[in-house]
Amino acid sequence: MKTRPYQICTHCVMDTSDPEIVFDSAGVCNHCHDFEHHQKPQLIGGSAGAVALDAIVTQIKEQGKGQEYDCIIGISGGVDSSYVAYRVLELGLRPLAVHVDTGWNSELAVSNIEKIVSALGIDLHTTVIDWEEMRDLQLAFLRSGVANCDVPQDHTFVAVLFKLAARKSIRWIISGHNLQTESILPEAWGYTSIDRKHLRSIHNLYGSRPLRTFPTYSLFDYTFYWPFVKRNKILKMLNFEDYNKQSAKQFLIERFGWRDYGGKHYESRFTKFFQSYYLPKKFGFDKRRAHLASLVVSGQLSREAALSELELPPYNEAEAAEDCSFVAKKLGINKSELESIIAASPKTYRDYPSNADLIDRLLRVKAKLARLLRSDK
Amino acid sequence: MPSDSFNPFRVIPVLLLEEGRLVKTIRFSKPSYVGDLINSVRIFNEKEVDELAILDIGASKRGLSPNFDLIKDVTNECFMPLAYGGGISDANQVRKLVEMGVEKVIINSAAMARPALVSEAAKEVGSQSVVVSIDIKKTLFGGYQARSVSGTKKVAAASLQALVKDFVEAGAGEILLNNIDRDGTLLGYDHALLKQVCTVASVPVISCGGAADVADLGKAVAQSGASACAAGALFTFRGPHRAVLLSYPKPAEVNEALRTSSIP
Ligand SMILES: [Zn+2]
Repeated sequence: MKTRPYQICTHCVMDTSDPEIVFDSAGVCNHCHDFEHHQKPQLIGGSAGAVALDAIVTQIKEQGKGQEYDCIIGISGGVDSSYVAYRVLELGLRPLAVHVDTGWNSELAVSNIEKIVSALGIDLHTTVIDWEEMRDLQLAFLRSGVANCDVPQDHTFVAVLFKLAARKSIRWIISGHNLQTESILPEAWGYTSIDRKHLRSIHNLYGSRPLRTFPTYSLFDYTFYWPFVKRNKILKMLNFEDYNKQSAKQFLIERFGWRDYGGKHYESRFTKFFQSYYLPKKFGFDKRRAHLASLVVSGQLSREAALSELELPPYNEAEAAEDCSFVAKKLGINKSELESIIAASPKTYRDYPSNADLIDRLLRVKAKLARLLRSDK
Repeated sequence: MPSDSFNPFRVIPVLLLEEGRLVKTIRFSKPSYVGDLINSVRIFNEKEVDELAILDIGASKRGLSPNFDLIKDVTNECFMPLAYGGGISDANQVRKLVEMGVEKVIINSAAMARPALVSEAAKEVGSQSVVVSIDIKKTLFGGYQARSVSGTKKVAAASLQALVKDFVEAGAGEILLNNIDRDGTLLGYDHALLKQVCTVASVPVISCGGAADVADLGKAVAQSGASACAAGALFTFRGPHRAVLLSYPKPAEVNEALRTSSIP
């Protein structure tokens, strides 16, 4: 890796641990500029947000008339998806909650889901991913040395949601993704999970059993079939309100007895290990930094508070050791093999076959097509 | 007044294994995959369940011994009392399982074929660690018939009650009464059957097969005479889509169920 002098953004907290970061003359980073120009305009809070959201909700209700459910929500037990479940009901929608069990659920995740769906009376569907296939694929990613090791979970989650939407003829998928808390994520720290070619090529090289039932999707599904043939739509509803993670958490705790588990996306035991230990240890990527930077640019956290949180180590040694033993045991390898995987030299997704260029082009075409269709209506 | 901080009777989640995979059946057939064993054990661990039962439903059918490696993985992960059944056919296996950290062994098919195994096992590890599982199916004429080998084989016995007495006499410390017709249906325990067995059994009877809800567990103990309640589907599925989501009732709910059922 090329060495460059350390620099940290004067506005957010992103730094040169993102190898591709660039700074302007005032020391403000590309992520800050990107947020200001491309993402902030999508954040419509306050009464304007409420009006815009109301219009979409009316449309969802209209299109879902006569159907058992008018939308699908993914539910993981985390803050964002739990809060979306509550809001969707409050807006009078009739959701089917979908949970994808990849074998890494923590007890907290399971009991949070239980609390939310039973208190709100939401029907739940669970897709259980075959653990032996999941294990094989996850291990293949770890052995490949890439930074995007959470791709198997991310990819299959999307596959399950859209496939179920198709099977049940549900058009709308309401997502907990939001720009307030996750706008910044350096590309160099990972790679898109939509690339099945990449997933398969890593599995072909490092996997040991066929993926027979593991739900996947193609680029064609993602860029054309789902949005234009099935006419599925994704609503990122939290972008339409002044979503604040801290107050959402507090609300969920008081209203539902929901329990907090510390980190972001720690509802999966793998994600916890991966984000809090594997990435910082092997790559020097600290996902907390991107998350805190997102909160800073959206005005939910002061830069000082973010910096002082980053003073704390990303993981605590005792807990990391316990997580490592658990992950190794669950993946069916011994601890020393996991240690050597972590110690091996880092690779990037570019070291393996992928559809990166095609995806770039397709997403541009998809955006153009979507604009054309919109002006058509 | 019972304390609401612990269960007034044992509530036991049952996990079924087939070829190393965690499944749930309906009426002993149609196994559907419900996830990873180790993670499920870990979740029940953190839910602090009274006891966990793992039954390998494919072992006896295929003439296999218990999968000791897999059981070792479970006992390493499991802090709660563990009961294991499936493929146990001799006293050496019983001793080996207990040495590995299994608290109770559950014997079914082999005990039906050779009842002496129960006394041999009791001699090896003590009656308190020996559970005899009796799988029951209703007959066409409304009677009850004991079955073995995953419900496929009829057990010859004068009557169900005689069978229960014989096993208790042989040294069974507990009887796991497993109702084939209700398995996985969530229709409620067969309380008539339960009463029949509980009146003759001088050892604890664990009700299993069909538990509908927590109230049903309370009823089994307060009205039908069970000492403990086991359930698979109830603690595995949720709602109309039978969505896999492991759960376990809070002691306050179990106490409440028992109180409600105890009111004459
Ligand atoms: Zn910045």
